[in-house]
Amino acid sequence: MPDQTPTDMPSSQSMLKVEALSHRVDLGDDTLTILQEVSFDIARGESVAIVGRSGSGKTTLLGLLAGLDSPSSGRVVLDGEEISALGEDERAALRARRVGFVFQSFQLLPALSALENVMLPLELAGHEAPEAQATELLERVGLGQRLRHTPRQLSGGEQQRVAIARAFASNPAVLFADEPTGNLDNRTGKTISDLLMALNQEQGTTLVMVTHDEQLAQRCQRRLSIDAGRVTEPEEQH
Amino acid sequence: MAVTGQLASVRRDLRERDVRVVITALVVAVATVATISLFASLLQRALVTSASAFLAADRQLEAEHGRPIPPDWYQEANRRGISTASMVEFSTMVFGGDRFQLVAVKAVSDAYPLRGQIEMQVGEGAERELVSRGPRPGEVWLNPRLMRLLALDMGDSLEVGNQALTVSGLLLREPDGGFSMAALAPRIMMHADDVPATGVVREGSRVEYVALFAGEEPELEAFHRWLEPQFHPSHEWKSVQDGETLSRSLQRAERFLLLGGSLAVLLAAVAVAVASREYALGQRDTVALLKTLGLRGGAISRLYLRRLALWGVAGCAGGLLLALPIYYGLAQVLSEVLERPVAAELDWRALLPALVTALVALFGFAYPPVRRLRQVAAMRVLRSEPGESGRRAWPDILLAGLAVFGLVWFYAGELAMVTALLGGVAALLAVLALVAWLMVLGLRHLRGGGTAWRLALVALYRHRQSTLSQVSVFAMTIMLACTLILVRSSLLDDWQAQLPENAPNHFLINIAPEKVDAVADFWEQRGHPLAQLYPMVRGRLTELNGQPVKEAVSKDERINALNRELNLTWMSELPADNALVQGQWFEAGARDGVSVEYELAERLGLKIGDRLGFTIGSDTLSETVTSIRTVQWESMQPNFYMAFPPDGQLAAMPSTWITSFYLPTSEKALLNDFARAFPTVSVLEVDHIIERIRAIVQQVTQAVEAILALILAAALVVMAAVVSATLRDRQREGALLRTLGGQQRLLVRSTMLEFALLGLVAGILGALAAEAAVWALQLRMFEGEFQWHWSVMLPVPLVSAALLSLFGRWQLAPVLKVSPMLLLRRLE
Repeated sequence: MPDQTPTDMPSSQSMLKVEALSHRVDLGDDTLTILQEVSFDIARGESVAIVGRSGSGKTTLLGLLAGLDSPSSGRVVLDGEEISALGEDERAALRARRVGFVFQSFQLLPALSALENVMLPLELAGHEAPEAQATELLERVGLGQRLRHTPRQLSGGEQQRVAIARAFASNPAVLFADEPTGNLDNRTGKTISDLLMALNQEQGTTLVMVTHDEQLAQRCQRRLSIDAGRVTEPEEQH
Repeated sequence: MAVTGQLASVRRDLRERDVRVVITALVVAVATVATISLFASLLQRALVTSASAFLAADRQLEAEHGRPIPPDWYQEANRRGISTASMVEFSTMVFGGDRFQLVAVKAVSDAYPLRGQIEMQVGEGAERELVSRGPRPGEVWLNPRLMRLLALDMGDSLEVGNQALTVSGLLLREPDGGFSMAALAPRIMMHADDVPATGVVREGSRVEYVALFAGEEPELEAFHRWLEPQFHPSHEWKSVQDGETLSRSLQRAERFLLLGGSLAVLLAAVAVAVASREYALGQRDTVALLKTLGLRGGAISRLYLRRLALWGVAGCAGGLLLALPIYYGLAQVLSEVLERPVAAELDWRALLPALVTALVALFGFAYPPVRRLRQVAAMRVLRSEPGESGRRAWPDILLAGLAVFGLVWFYAGELAMVTALLGGVAALLAVLALVAWLMVLGLRHLRGGGTAWRLALVALYRHRQSTLSQVSVFAMTIMLACTLILVRSSLLDDWQAQLPENAPNHFLINIAPEKVDAVADFWEQRGHPLAQLYPMVRGRLTELNGQPVKEAVSKDERINALNRELNLTWMSELPADNALVQGQWFEAGARDGVSVEYELAERLGLKIGDRLGFTIGSDTLSETVTSIRTVQWESMQPNFYMAFPPDGQLAAMPSTWITSFYLPTSEKALLNDFARAFPTVSVLEVDHIIERIRAIVQQVTQAVEAILALILAAALVVMAAVVSATLRDRQREGALLRTLGGQQRLLVRSTMLEFALLGLVAGILGALAAEAAVWALQLRMFEGEFQWHWSVMLPVPLVSAALLSLFGRWQLAPVLKVSPMLLLRRLE
């Protein structure tokens, strides 16, 4: 990345632009505010860690950024498209083209082999040769010998590697990761985060990651701290 | 645990979707079986009542040779709470105005008929009435043709012997209008009290006395046991079951209902098995955790057994609550259909099969996968183990197989049927596993087409295990439904074939040999050619291999044919509706041998080469059995127990000829011309009997349709159980697909396509398997030949594909409504 700081970047360089984003849940008598007037930009190719205590609104923010849900108010612009103004199917189409996901509990389909799990987004995007590309990716993450294994025959670390291969399969512009090492031991977690960062670097992907893992957060270029629904201290790390 | 505790436990279990499915499956199973067996028991009673109308009673006792039935027999019957009536039947000349005619008289007591009704008119052109009594003393009712023959009017006098009776009605139909060869002449009906005054009936004259009995089945049986030792050879005890034509129809109806019941049992078992397997899979983590907390295998088994028992109770209670309104609804429909409605009593014994079904379904199908839970390793809490191996599932499959066999056998009580049914299922599953696997392999190469199409194919292939089991279950359900449709239609075709539209409805009896040609010419000229005329000699079978026949056969065998004169005939060719079972038909010019009807031969234990002795008038005749043949008694053609060669000894005996032919009602007037031209020939009109048989077939058809609808409903619930068993995976997959960028439309289309493909393959396999099963059933039960049923074969796969694709769309709806964000949170 050039020397410019992300906040100075022109908006054309911005991958994610969040403006006055609020999210409230109606509880009948009461309204629970989960996110309140959140605004920030994330630059193309930047890696950002969203940190905060449990229940602070991290997962909700991630879901809104990825267009899994619509905000109560405010805007999210992803790669120039206002995702918060799109219908559900349009958001899905945008995700198919631009977005990859890594989840804490891996979210692999148990009936499918490692290879088939990685092929899934490729098939959704109508890719020509999903099997070849999926195989190549699995080899990249060191699972070339376990293509036909189902998730239940793989360890947690191996499952997360499959999930990472799947996330990068569609060559996404943005990768959203929700506690990617949360279910793993320190050593495996380290291996996984190395892999994630390396692939991210290699592919020039924008990485937005929710994490409790201080070490992993440290490895991101930037950290957004969230507390009681507000992004309190955006700060530069590197 | 107190009841409230148990209830709370069931409530807690109900929070789990799989438990809800198991209990729902049980509810449906119990409700289906209970409804079917309650309804079947109602139908049985309705059919027996309806059929009893054929005898005008539940039982008839006939006495030939002019011996009245002892009065104390009637008294004994009354003492046992059985109602009675009596009739006297004889032939005599009657005089009306200046004409006379030979008639068949039926003189009935006040209580006649005990079952069914008499159809009559109080005059030509008057309203047809159904009445429950015969003529009053001093009155007589006449067959309309006789009225015209004698040129009588209402109120005229008819002389029967010494007694003049007033004509007060036209007799259109008697409930017991079944034919016997004694009923040779046109019928008149009078009151039994008038018989002595006629002076026609004396000791030893050719008179038949008939006692009629009606009452509850156990009392009738007990009365029969009391009566039997006192019977004289001339006594003949008749029940509904003995009526040849009708009892066959009833037996088939009974078999069909049992078949329906068995299919329902199978469906129930499938639903429970599928749902409980899902439940057990979902419980593995819990069991592993319980083991980690120190619970032993035995305690875990007891825990789950208690749960199963609770579900069983819940399922039975729910099922019975559901069954009762359905049953009363059906009873209502049935009573509208039936000529004689039957009260919709609740027969508690009929609920037993439902409860047994629940027990067997629980312990034969739900328990095995749950039982295996105790083997789940505690290690599982730390790391998921690979799935269960097929080897361990074998005892379960064996147990389930035995449970199904036992249950269906218990239910149908007939080994041949159970074997055919389960053979079909086993063959189906084997073929299914193979074909479905081939299909899955084939699908791997089918990756072209649009995204939805590709996703559907890919989903089928990806979930190959569940595809395989879903295709199997769907195909089995379709097979059951198709079998039912095919058996139903082939049963009806069978009945219809026996009674074609222009089945002979009139018999000409007593044709003198020299009049045969003239009679044939008469009808030929009037456009109703006679098909076939048979000579007839009446004789008794008296000896079997030199021994008196009644000593030669087992005393337990009650063989009506031995108690009365048989109609013997000679013929050169085997009639078209007869079929040779054993031996050789007579060669041209043969003089010796006799061909015996198959069922009589069975009951007498006759085989080829046995020697039979007949007494014909004062002569005797001895012949060797040369062939055994089947006869279609329902065909309304003249049929004979014994047939001799045309050049043999019988042909030398004095004979009369018999034939049958079809005469439409509109041309009945021709019978008057015929009677004038051939006064000695008797015309037997059986068109009313045929009408009655048709009506009964109609009733049975309607009942069968009701049961078919029920079983199809059960099949749909089974489908729902199977589909919802995979719902969890589909929800997860749907959420993930959407998160990864799949659009709603795409998901809908691919799911519908996937289910349509499933339905198509299952439909093809199911229809094929049904053909095989029906063929097996027909071979064993109805002696039919194999034929393709294209009208069912072709639409079934298409309908099944359409149905399942809509079904898949419906199942997917909950997945589509939920935001992927929420789904992801819930799933995490």
